[in-house]
Amino acid sequence: MRTLPGILLAITLFAVPPALVAAEGEPPPEEEESKCITCHTDTELWEGEQLHLLVTEKQMAELAEDVHWKKGLRCHDCHGGDPTSFRTGDAHAEEAGFRMMEAPGDVPDFCGHCHADIAIMKRYNPSPRTDQVVEYWTSGHGQAMKKNPEDADVAQCVSCHGHHGIRAVDDLKSPVFPTHLAETCAKCHSDESRMKGREYNGKELSHDQYELWRKSVHARMLLEKGDLSAPTCNDCHGNHGAVPPDVDSVANACGTCHVKVGELFAGTKMRHRFEEVKLPGCATCHNHHDIQHPTDEMLGMEADGVCGRCHQEGDPKYGATLTGAEAARKMRRGLDDLDAMIEEAKRNLKKAEELGMGVQKPRFELKKASDALTNARSLVHGFALKPMEEVLDEGLQVATVQNETALERIGEYHFRRVWLALSLVPILLVVGLLLLYIRRRPIPGR
Amino acid sequence: MSPAPENGPAETAGWKQRLWAYLSDRVGLDAMLALGVKKRVPIHRTTVFYFLGGMALFLFIVQIVSGVLLSLYYKPSPDQAFESVQAIMSEVKFGWLIRSVHSWGANLVIGVLFLHLLTTYMMRAYRRPREFTWVTGLLLLALFMALGFSGYLLPWNQLSYAATNVGTKLVGVVPVVGEYLLKIARGGENVTGDTLSRFYALHVAIFPLLALALMGAHLYLVQKQGMSVPPRVAESHGGEDKVPSMSFVPDFLLRDAVGWYLALGILAALAALFPWELGEKADPFASTEIGTKPEWYFLFMFQLLKQLPGTIMDLEWLEGEMVGVLFFGAVGSIVLLVPFLDRGDRSRRALNFFAGVSVIFFIVMTAWGWFDELPLQIILGTSLLLAVLALADRFLQRGTPSRRALGVAAALTVLVLIAAIIRELTR
Repeated sequence: MRTLPGILLAITLFAVPPALVAAEGEPPPEEEESKCITCHTDTELWEGEQLHLLVTEKQMAELAEDVHWKKGLRCHDCHGGDPTSFRTGDAHAEEAGFRMMEAPGDVPDFCGHCHADIAIMKRYNPSPRTDQVVEYWTSGHGQAMKKNPEDADVAQCVSCHGHHGIRAVDDLKSPVFPTHLAETCAKCHSDESRMKGREYNGKELSHDQYELWRKSVHARMLLEKGDLSAPTCNDCHGNHGAVPPDVDSVANACGTCHVKVGELFAGTKMRHRFEEVKLPGCATCHNHHDIQHPTDEMLGMEADGVCGRCHQEGDPKYGATLTGAEAARKMRRGLDDLDAMIEEAKRNLKKAEELGMGVQKPRFELKKASDALTNARSLVHGFALKPMEEVLDEGLQVATVQNETALERIGEYHFRRVWLALSLVPILLVVGLLLLYIRRRPIPGR
Repeated sequence: MSPAPENGPAETAGWKQRLWAYLSDRVGLDAMLALGVKKRVPIHRTTVFYFLGGMALFLFIVQIVSGVLLSLYYKPSPDQAFESVQAIMSEVKFGWLIRSVHSWGANLVIGVLFLHLLTTYMMRAYRRPREFTWVTGLLLLALFMALGFSGYLLPWNQLSYAATNVGTKLVGVVPVVGEYLLKIARGGENVTGDTLSRFYALHVAIFPLLALALMGAHLYLVQKQGMSVPPRVAESHGGEDKVPSMSFVPDFLLRDAVGWYLALGILAALAALFPWELGEKADPFASTEIGTKPEWYFLFMFQLLKQLPGTIMDLEWLEGEMVGVLFFGAVGSIVLLVPFLDRGDRSRRALNFFAGVSVIFFIVMTAWGWFDELPLQIILGTSLLLAVLALADRFLQRGTPSRRALGVAAALTVLVLIAAIIRELTR
């Protein structure tokens, strides 16, 4: 019951002393409206087992940043009770609407009192979400909580959003803002002792997901380049309804962002085969959390090629064929050839440009070849050689033409040099004739 | 040359004679020809250096013609400048040739002007009454360097952008008015599109107009004062009047034409051997590449400023760059005032010493800035020094101590040059 003291604190915390609130620049609540703060900040009132009901200065500071507080909500708006009474019994009377949380499992419905009520939520947002609680009970967390509502190690609302000092999800400092979310999840999921013995769908939960994700291309995009569209935990697992994607839904999870590749894969026989043998779609080749930037080396039968894992000669796995292995080799060769030709054309165009030759048009045209390469890389996920070869051939043709154009421009540059050098001949001829003429004239000054 | 008009009835004269008569009546060709024939050019050991002025004039005309042609296609905006120069070089017929000629012509004209300055000094042609000829000539050199600097930015490539950034920054270190001057030079705090339009206006309108005016004054003064005869030559002939001479038209003009054609040949050779490239488009956010250098004629300044510490003697107000800029300002002023400082043997010796140190400083700094490796720096430095010594040789009389000293210096320079070449070849 690690978080229970916190929950109990949450029940009584909204009694903020006026002086402290004033110190945070907020107007103090009217005495007759909220007496909660008066008692719950009095250090002399709370001791021993009840010490957790004392609201500290730090907690007061956090409360001042709370999105609910900023919207004008006060202690009794969440906790109920009578904030105008100094009498403990009256203030916390059930008749006055005081809501008691006895176990962590009570938290979702406690928050849901407002967050699942569309009428209340509409006061703050014209199109609010009110399905979080419902979603929660479908999540791995919710299912575990149902089994043991007193399990303080199972996440519920406050585990991720905080007790008080709850910030809006688009607040940069919110623990569920994209750049902080993985760290928030990792507080529990990287804790070996918490994860020990826990399982989902009969599979034991690991505790290295965060560590792996930090090495992924997604984490680099999000944390190093600040790309908020890069996925973090909730983008693949869901947030309130967080669960590990099933084998047959992995591709759909990835496909929410990687739409084209997702659609291609969905239409292949390979997908059904993966499902039959219980291989998770994309993750089989690209891994789960430490997903790296895909490279052409991943394709094919060489050391880094993922195809070779199943299409092994002599020892094929899951019924993988050698025809598939040959197709993978051809695909890889095609990609390599086009990539090399594009790079060569780029090099020559750059050289021509540095020599002062115009290359805008060929460079623009070359983009078509680069587009074809990108397209072909996507088509790998259709596992069909013919459509990919068509795209590769088209790209190769464009790249070859542009490379020839670049070489022509470089050649023209050198031709100009020769031409200029030849112009010296008539110039020197005129100089010679002039000197001859001067020699034939009478010597001046004599 | 043009045929002299013949006497006799106009009806019986050929078409050349009739054309000559027609033009003479209207624009005074006869008078001009008479002036050309009357004008005399002295003949002596260093007559050949009289051609340098004509070569510079010829190259200036080449610059004007090629510049006008380039301006037909050039677009002075950061978005279009680089692309327009690229289009000139690749799409405009013979645009590449015009651009290469213009770029090399700019370097060549400044090189010829440096030589013209040096030989004029050696001939002491700045003496009374030619002080203003010297002053206008030196201002022309400064103006041509400014033309080179302003034109360098126009292609808007990475190198020119960085060079302009560094070059204009130096203006900012001038005491008191530096910051103000920097803003005027750049058209703002940084080198931007405003700087480009500003430099374009300076390069194609303001500087050329000033150059034309100064050149007019310079040529008028040359015409008015006549060609200067070196004092030693005049002495050896018993007076300036006794020095043999040739007529300007046609004798000198024919030789001048040889100089022009040679300049054209050098221009073509340079354009063929070292075609002017375009580089990469300027990117204000890109870091300045290591090894970014200005044009060769600014290298001596750049190299010294690069060596100066941030502050001199740890005095915050005494910035290294500021001291460098003031130093070059002082040197420039002395060169400008040479005719007024040459007041006798002692001052002349001091000036000669100053000139010698300046030339050696220019050579050392240029060679140092041009190459990164010492043997190559020595090869370039000693080669330039040999060229200058060969130049000076023509001005010194045989058997004099100066001539002997020059011979020794040349021999030592050759030895160092050979040693550096061997060192470079065996590396």
